[in-house]
Formats: sequence, structure tokens, C-alpha cells
Amino acid sequence: MFPNFRQAMAWVHTWFGLVLGFVLMACFFFGSLSVFDREIDRWAIPASRHAAQPMPSFDTLLQPIFRDMQPSKESLDYLRDRVDGPLPARFDTVRSWGAYTTHRDPVLSLFTSYEVPNARDPDDAARGNRTIDPRTGAALPDDRLKIGSQFFYPLHYSLNLSWKDLGYWIVGLAGLTMLVALVSGVVMHRRIFREFFTFRPKKSTQRSVLDLHNMTGVLALPFHFFFAFTGLVIFAGIYFPVTHTQLNPLHEMHEKLEAEETGLPHDRAGVAAPLASVDAMAAEAQRRWAARGMAGEVGLLTVSHVGDANGYVSVYRAGTDRIALVGDGIHFKASTGELLREDPPRTAVDSVNTFLTGLHLQHFRHWLLRWLYVLGGLLGCVCIATGFIFFVEKRKKQHAAAGSQGSRVVDALAVTTVTGMLLAALTILIANRLLPETLPAGWPPRGDLEQYLFWAGWALAMAHAFVRSAPVAQGRPNPAWREQCWAVAAMAVAAVLLNWLTTGDHLARTVFIDTYWPVAGVDLFLLACAGLAAGAARRLGRRTAAGVRPAPRAEAAHA
Amino acid sequence: MTASLASRPRLHAALRVAAAVLGGYAFCWGFIALATSGLFALGMPFHDAEHLGSILGMLLYLAAFLWAFAARRLARVWLVLAGGGALMAGAASLVQRTLL
Repeated sequence: MFPNFRQAMAWVHTWFGLVLGFVLMACFFFGSLSVFDREIDRWAIPASRHAAQPMPSFDTLLQPIFRDMQPSKESLDYLRDRVDGPLPARFDTVRSWGAYTTHRDPVLSLFTSYEVPNARDPDDAARGNRTIDPRTGAALPDDRLKIGSQFFYPLHYSLNLSWKDLGYWIVGLAGLTMLVALVSGVVMHRRIFREFFTFRPKKSTQRSVLDLHNMTGVLALPFHFFFAFTGLVIFAGIYFPVTHTQLNPLHEMHEKLEAEETGLPHDRAGVAAPLASVDAMAAEAQRRWAARGMAGEVGLLTVSHVGDANGYVSVYRAGTDRIALVGDGIHFKASTGELLREDPPRTAVDSVNTFLTGLHLQHFRHWLLRWLYVLGGLLGCVCIATGFIFFVEKRKKQHAAAGSQGSRVVDALAVTTVTGMLLAALTILIANRLLPETLPAGWPPRGDLEQYLFWAGWALAMAHAFVRSAPVAQGRPNPAWREQCWAVAAMAVAAVLLNWLTTGDHLARTVFIDTYWPVAGVDLFLLACAGLAAGAARRLGRRTAAGVRPAPRAEAAHA
Repeated sequence: MTASLASRPRLHAALRVAAAVLGGYAFCWGFIALATSGLFALGMPFHDAEHLGSILGMLLYLAAFLWAFAARRLARVWLVLAGGGALMAGAASLVQRTLL
């Protein structure tokens, strides 16, 4: 099939890169936005525009809220087919309560899980969640979508396609493809060192696009490899559920042994018990961290087997100043507050694992690195997008001569995943600002509607890209590129203006008068995006006007 | 097999892709299962064995994937990836049985 190794790698690079590149674009772009997911949440939920808060008092503020919570509608819908008979009206046996915060969270996420008495699978749990303002305990409305952390963020690893976890698997294959494309790309290019410095923007589109593809690929090669690889490692348990299938017996045995060893009960005792002061336990945990020379804030607080004599409280340290997400857990007996266990120092393997995953998830405080992540992710987008354009530029003349529609379709899909994706992201931000605070009865929840509009906006951009694609079949550019660039510029400016009109938070205020960087940052990013898009649109317009361009040269290394 | 496949490049390409994606998956499944049970049997903490197996397994998947295209003989690719995966998975189950 392939005469030599290099050609085999070129084939893999071209075809896997093409097919899964469309998915990778979404992973890299929404992954880049996820770096500032909390900040995008603040933009989308004006009621939460205040400073980040530490973990509030459990005893006075959180406990009554937890006691009031019940499973969510989604969780109950999921369970309906997995129980014998009807679901109970109330869930009283609480498996766990949890509260999680980071140094960037003005609001606090609470999550609960409950035993389901008539579940067919005894491991099934009913789950609840609520987001509160930790200063008052007031709940945020249920129908508000955290566009950053609940939509863009999961989109980058699951495509928000939950049916049979299909989205995770597609992204997993795309992640593997990214690694494959990086290795095969290096094999294809003998002069890798030179690629660092080669960009000839004045040459033919095909030549300069390939330069840009190589430069962005090589320059950020470690970054791209690291993120694709650690992404796969984070979800290894989903892609290879070995210990929950083939080795499940071993896993179960280990869990029981671990419970004996750590003294943290695996199951309920079945004897009711009260809950001692959790605030005292959190204070004791902080005292113990300080004594170890690592004073820190509480990031995650959980109560397991609530109301039972086997109940225990776990206090985890926020990873604000270290790479591992949360950790150094200290565990107390829930009924007495007696210390049960301090997590031992990390083993070598666990250090490697938490380093890899923590560096990907980046919950620590380092604003410069945070921006470099965005830059790296966007370089990845440029690399993938220029790959598409090179594919089309190289073939469109031949395809035009042969009457093939191949490059026309690829080009339209490239428009959809480059400018179309920007339009979709802008659509959800604009929808978020334009939809009324309370929707008429019978409408879907506000957050759901925002998501529908996101997908509708993307579908519309795709339709536009295909409708306008005819010139590509004659070897000319698709005008949709230029038109969608103008649309991106207009919509990005519109989003900034709408934020001002609906909340009063204009840039002069968020930057100078009453400085609030999360919202100012999103607005400035949108304006930069508008500027770039308008610049690109103007250049594309000049090129179209100029008409004839120099003939592309063949590149032997590309199959 | 080689001769008949050479005359049908589409089928050959499909079998290569399947070998890389599915064969590579089977091979890595076997590796992760054997690494997890084997390292645990040798005294490594369970979750460490699991994580180390997964981290190495992902890199192995990349290597197996590329090899599936680079190797000259497709039959051998299938034999090594699917056969090796099945062997390692079987060995993992045996290790588990002795531990339980």
C-alpha cells in the first residue's frame, strides 16, 4: 500500500488529520476558552459578578441548604428506567454531600448523592446539585447556564453529546489522532529545525499556509502533545474501563481492603448518628496543613454516609499554589470530629499522575501561564485550520479540472469549523444577553434555549458555507470565508455592546472605575476577536478583487 | 492475502485503519489489564498500578497505531495486536484469579 515509511506517515497524517481535525478544532478552541471558564460564567450570569469567596461556614450556612436539597430532575429522569416500580417521592438516605470551590469562584457548587432503595444496580445513586452565593446562601436560579464551565468546558471533552458517552469516544479518538498527527508530521518533514523560522506570507496561499501549518505545529509541539496526551490520561477510565469490567472483582476486593486500611468506612453501619461541628474539623485540617508548612484554603469538603454512625468528613486542600488539583485530605469521624486519617504523602506514580492531570486542568493561580495556555490552544487551532486550507489549496485546481466536488466539501466544512464555530460561540453569548430574564410559560428553560441557539447558529453557518461553496469547484475561493469573518466582527462587537446595555458594565467601568477583570477580559477578548476578523475579511476582499494569484507549487512530502 | 489486497487498495486501507484503531485498542486493553493486575500483584498500590498502566498504555496505543501503518505485512499487524491483546487480557484474568 505504501512504498515507504515516510509515505505511510504522510497518508495517516493527511486522512486522519482531515477527518478528525474537524473534531480537534472544537476541542482546541473550546478548550482554550475553558481556561477562562469561570470568567465567562461571570459574563453570562451578571448576578454572580463579585469577588471570589472562600469556603463558607458549613455549620451555619451549608448544612441547612444540604438538608433542603433533593435529586435533580435530570438525575431522576435518568433513574426512571433503572428502578423496580416508581421512584420514591423523597430521598432520605444521603450517601454524600460535597462543596467545591477554587480561587476563581465567587459562587459555590454543591453536590449531593442519595441511595435509591429500589435501584436494580445498587451502585446507582440519585444526584442533586445547586449553585449558591456563599455570602448569603441564596441559590442561583436553576435555569441559568454557566456558559463557560457547564457548556464550553464539557464541549471540549465530550462535545456535549451524552448519548452512550459517544462524545467522549469521538474526542478520545481525536486526541489520539492529534498525537498521531504530531509524530507523523515530524516524520514527514526532514528539515524540522528550519520550520521554526520559516514563514513566507508573500508567497502563494498554498506555500504560506503550509509554512504557517508547520510553524504553529512545530513551535508549540510540546504543548500540543502534552494536552492531547494528558486529555487521554484524564479520561483513561472511560476509554479503558478495565477496572470496572474485566478487573472489577479485583477492584471491589481492593476497595474493601482500602476501607479497612484507611479506617474510612466503605458502607453505612445502619445506625443513626448526629453530625458534629464540621467547621471545627475544617479548622483542625487547616491547622494540620499549617503545621506541615503548607497552610492553605479548603477546596473540597465532603461528608460521606450522612446521618450514619459510619459517616465521615473529608477536608481537601485547594490546589491554588500547586499543580495537583485538590489533595492532602484529612478525614474525621462525622459524629465526633475525631481524626480518622491524614492522607499519606503522594507516591511516585500518584505524583506523576496528579502532575499530568493538574497541569492540564490548571486550577492553580498563575495568570501568565493561563494566558499562555490560551495562546497555545489557539496556535493549535491555527495549525489544524491551515491543515484544512492546505488540503484544499493543493487539490482544488485538479478537482476543478476533473469535475470532482471533494475540495469544495472539505472547504465548506473548514468554513463551518473555523468561522462557523466562532459564530456559534458568539450566538450563545448574544442569546444570553438578549433572552428575557423570565421566559413565557411553556418555553424551555433559559439555559437550554441558549444551547439550542448555539447549535442553530452553528447549523446556519454550515448551511451558509455549503450554499456559497460553488466557486471552489471551479478552483476559486469560497466567499463564505469573507462573509463569515464580517459576521464574526459584527457579532463580537454586538456582544460587548449588549453586555453594556443589559448590565451597565461597559469597559470604562470594568477596567478603570470599578475594576472587574473577569468581565473586562471577556469584553476585551471579544473586541480583539472582532478586530482580527475584520482584518481578515478585508484582506480576503482585496484578494478576491485582485483575482488571479500565482499558481501553487507541489509539495512532494504530502500525499 | 497480500497479493489480493494489493489489487484492492480501498479494502487494504480499511483493514489498516481497523488494525490501527481496533487492533491497537485491543492491544492496549490487554496491556492496561495486565499492568494493573500484575503490578498490584507485585505490591504496588491498586490505583498506582491502574494509573501507571493507563499512562503507559496511552503511549503504547500511539506506537501501535503508527506501527499498524508502517509495518509491511498487514497479517502480522493483526496477529500481534489482536493476538497479543487477547493473550495479555487472558493473563490479567489469571493473575486476578490467583489474587482473589
